[in-house]
Parts: sequence; C-alpha cells; structure tokens
Amino acid sequence: MFNLVVAFRFLREGRGQTVLILFGITVGIAVQVFLNALIVGLQRSLIDRTVGSAPHIAASMPDIVPEAGLPGGDVRPVLTRVVTNQGNVKPIRDWQPLVAQLEKLGAFKSLQVVVRGSGFIVQGEKSLPVVLQGFDLERADALYNIRRRMTDGRYEVGGNNVLIGTDLAAKLRVGVGGSLRVTVASGATDVFPVGGVFDLESQPVNESWVIISLARAQTLFGLDRGVTEVELQVDDVFTAAGWARDLRASFPSLKWLSWQETNASLLAALQSQSSSSYMIQLFVLLSVTLGIASVLAVSVVQKARQIGILKAVGTMTRTVSRIFLIQGAVLGFTGSLLGSVGGWALIQIFQALRPPQAGGFPITVGFGAIVLSIAVATAAGTLAAYVPARRAARLNPIEVIRNG
Amino acid sequence: MAEFIALRDIRKTYGTTVPTHALRGITLDFVAGEYAAIIGRSGSGKTTLLNIMGTLDRPTSGALVVGGEDLFRLDDDGLARFRNRTVGFIFQFHHLLPEFNALENVLIPNRVYRGRVGADVLRRGKELLERVGVGNRMHSRANNLSGGEQQRVAIARALINEPRIVFADEPTGNLDSDTSEDVKALLRSINRELGTTFLIVTHDRHIAAGCDRVVEIDDGLIRRDFRTADASEDENWRELAPCNCRERRRGDLG
Repeated sequence: MFNLVVAFRFLREGRGQTVLILFGITVGIAVQVFLNALIVGLQRSLIDRTVGSAPHIAASMPDIVPEAGLPGGDVRPVLTRVVTNQGNVKPIRDWQPLVAQLEKLGAFKSLQVVVRGSGFIVQGEKSLPVVLQGFDLERADALYNIRRRMTDGRYEVGGNNVLIGTDLAAKLRVGVGGSLRVTVASGATDVFPVGGVFDLESQPVNESWVIISLARAQTLFGLDRGVTEVELQVDDVFTAAGWARDLRASFPSLKWLSWQETNASLLAALQSQSSSSYMIQLFVLLSVTLGIASVLAVSVVQKARQIGILKAVGTMTRTVSRIFLIQGAVLGFTGSLLGSVGGWALIQIFQALRPPQAGGFPITVGFGAIVLSIAVATAAGTLAAYVPARRAARLNPIEVIRNG
Repeated sequence: MAEFIALRDIRKTYGTTVPTHALRGITLDFVAGEYAAIIGRSGSGKTTLLNIMGTLDRPTSGALVVGGEDLFRLDDDGLARFRNRTVGFIFQFHHLLPEFNALENVLIPNRVYRGRVGADVLRRGKELLERVGVGNRMHSRANNLSGGEQQRVAIARALINEPRIVFADEPTGNLDSDTSEDVKALLRSINRELGTTFLIVTHDRHIAAGCDRVVEIDDGLIRRDFRTADASEDENWRELAPCNCRERRRGDLG
C-alpha cells in the first residue's frame, strides 16, 4: 500500500520524464496494435477471398492403386494394372447415408454433393477443355455464392440448361440463348442451351466451369445415382484441417482433403507474413522495455536520497524494490492502455482512407489482442524495472545520508 | 538502572588494501532515558559510531545489544524493523522526502510500520507538528519549508512511532543560533516528557554542555566519558571549553 503511494509520487514528481516515456510506450504499443490488426485483417480477407466461397473440406473416392499379386507358395508373381472406367470419374455410390451422418454432426455451415467431370466444348475448329459441375443449385449457392454474382440470365439449370462463366462466354462468343456442344471423356456428346452467365471473380473458374444440374451430370457421366465429391464448409476455416483428420478416421474409405492441404503455399505465405509481423512486434516491445528500464535506472539515481531515507526509517529491501517494480508496471500498463487507444485511432484513420468498398479490406481489432498487448506490456514494464529495483534495494542508506 | 544500550568492543575498518580504522574498540553502556552527547573532532569516528548504534551500518567486529537483543545477529530486514519501531533518526540535512508534505513526511515511518495510518496516529502526527512549532505548515511541501522548519518536521518524524531511542546527527548543524536554541530545548523537553533516550552527535559544545553525559571520541577510541548532570555549569565548561577553543582554532586554520 505504502510502496504504491511512493511509486506514484515518484512518477508524479518526475513528471517530464514520466510523460516522455509514456509517450514512447504509447507510440510503440499503438504501432503494435495497429500492425497486428492490419496483418490479421489482411490475412482474414485473403483467406476469405481464397476459401470463403469454396469448399473447406472435400471428400472423393481415392485413386485405385494397383495391387501387386504377391508370390505365395509356388504362384508366379503377377503385376496387376487397374484401368478405371469413365476417365477420372470415380463415383461415391452410397453418399446418402454419409450425408445424413454429416448433417447430424451439425458442425458444417454448408454441405453439398457434386458430380464433377471434365469434358470439352467443340465449336467450329475450337475445342476448349471445361469442367462440368453437376450442382444442386440451392446448396451450391450457399457454398459458392453464385446467385448474387450472375451477370446475365437466370440462376436455373432445369433440363439441359447450363450456366457458364463470363470468360468462357466471351471466348465462345455465346450468351444467354446460345448453345454449347459438350463432349465428355466417355465420348457422350450433347447440346446444352446457355441459361445464364456468372462471374465468380476468378479467371480459371470463369473460363472452365459449366454448371449443369446434378441429375443431368449423373446421366452424362454414367454414374447412375452416384456423385464424385462431397463438399463441406466449416464456420472457422482454421478448424478445417482438424475436421478433415477426424473425418478421415471416421470414413476411411474416402479421401478427405482440407483447404489447408490443397493451399499449402498460401498457408506458408501467411505464416511467414505472420512471423515477420511477430518479429516487428517483438522489437517494438523490446524497445519499449529498454525505454522503461533506462528511465527507471535514471530514476534510481535521482531518488537515491529518498531511497536512503526510506531505508533509514526502516523500509525493508523488498518494499524498496517493489516501489520500482510498481513504477515499471504502471508505466507499462498506462502506456499500453493509451497505445491501444492510439492503435484503434490509427485503424479508424486507415479505414477512413481506404474503406473496404474502395478496395481496402476490413480491419477489426480484437478485444483479446488488446488485452494481450496490455498484459504483455505490463509484464515487460515490470521486468524492465527488475534491474533498477535491485539496484535501489541494494543502496546503502549511509552513503546518501552522509553526503546530504 | 540497568544498561539499555550496550556496545561491546565495536570495531570498524574501511578498505582492505589500505585499511582505515574508524573505530578501534568501543565499549559503552547507556541507560534508558539518558540524554547523552557524543563529541569529537571531524574524522574521530563519532558519526560511524552513531550509524552503527542506529544499525545503518554493521561493525567489522563487536556486538550491540539493545533491550537484551543482540542486533547484529539479525538480518537486514530484522535491522530495518528495529530501526522502524525502536529508533528515530534526526539527520543534519533533515532528509525529508520532497515528494510529500510535512504531515505526510511525519507519518512515513508509521506507514512503513503499519501500511495504513490510523486516526490516532494521524492525530499524533498533527500534535507532534504542533508541538515542534510547525502546525501551521502541515500541508506545505517539504521543499517549501525553511531549514529550521524542515528540521522540526524531521524531529516530529523521528518521534511518530514513539521510539525508545532517538539518534541525532548534528541536529543543529545547519541552523542559525536562535533556531538552534529552540531545537535544543525541544529535544530536551521531549526527553524529559517521554523518557526517550537521546544520543546526540555534535560539534556544538553548547549542546554537549546541556546533556547529562558527554562521550568524547578521538581516533576511534573513547577519550573521555563523564557526567555533566552531577557537576555545575562552570565545572562543565572547564571540561569542555579548552578542548572547544583548541578545536575552534584548528577549524579556523583548516
């Protein structure tokens, strides 16, 4: 209690010094909070653009691996080669119970089954490779957000009607009302009228996707009632890898892939961005700590006489060191509190200058991140005070009292 | 009366390569309530002796027993507790904390003792400030007070925890002669009223003459130890003055 009073008096008495170091801490922590929010916001928007409208986990049938007939007894070794039918398309036949079970888990934001296969469009001398997407349109919209991004026609795929991307439409010079001749790997060919054009903001998608109804895709690829993939979205994208692992264990007959596994290079880039941001934050914190330490080291010299008197009247060593530890903690806490406000203000300015509508990205500063910043800065301030506090505690009262 | 403070062969040596022997074996006893002066030339070791008696410093060898407790067997915190509860200090340079006002300065030893100041202690602090004559400056910052006022506040501070011993190092050393007389009278009256033991280190022969006992230190040893209370004022001045005059002359030349 008394050490708290003395600590505050010392800080108040050295007002100029206190204000200066508080300003330093405030700037440091403001930069730290801002940088952290910026990087988090940037990454969130990057991830959202990458996987926000894409499946987080996809299940498909594993490729069939040829099995070598191992020699047993006097049987001669046989090499087996498996030839899959229908090109790459390997259907999941009993998907209904699987989907029912997945839905029962209730952990997935959206869930859909897809028939996906490749084909090509022949138009005059042109032959363009395309990916045929057999979708249930309602479920696909929940996942890919297509309806809002239609540029022409209607979001319907009844009968042979198909939807195509803007780039494909431009290449083929067809629009709503035109038709496409599509051939698939098995050789089946049909003519599909274009019912709508979409723009999913990704050139590969806009160039190659041809959306048809699930049922039409099943017959086109000869899958009967089977599908090729089950696609899932989770609420928190970063839990996808964990879910994929769990699903792999529960349904080992399927191949489960999370977006993290299919976007390893993006993740690596995000991680190195994070670590460079952490590096900068670490150095900011280090300079804040050193600033506090040096101010308190000076303060110990300035207050040597007072410390001597306090010790002479019976203040114990640990109380003396606590006076300085408290000062460090108070500087760290107050500075980081002000710094958090400053960081928040910086974010508001940044948002005002580059609003999300104008190509910026939303930055939100998390309450948790601020609390963590303040806690770390307070701890750093206390730590910074450790050496000065020890010096103060070791001060010999006669040295200062003798010399007036 | 039984001895209250007992020093047994106290020695203090500074430095190891070229040792300086500040105290070379001091054995002294003081009884409770005594009002004694420790005199001696500069560098005689009297302040070192006071610092050791006040446990601000540890001797190289020897023992200090106060109220039956062998103090230098205690650790630093034990000594701090002893200083806080049993001892009051009055320094030559007042040594108030400039961050606090007069009343707060007086209460500091009590806050060190109990953390929080109770109503009775607050009242005592105010009474002490009235008693030493600075009741009207209670809420002034320490560095806004004159030298005499600061010394009075320091005296009040020394008394707040009702110590059994007060150590004073040149309590009037920085004061003009009128203020000096006041402070002297104040210390004496406190000694008489509360029975507090006073050990006063001083150059001032007037203060020494007003004490019950004078201990003269020279070159780290006790040179003389006599009671002034039993003798007449004239006799005391004969004891003190020649030495005093000799020293004054030296001081002037030096």
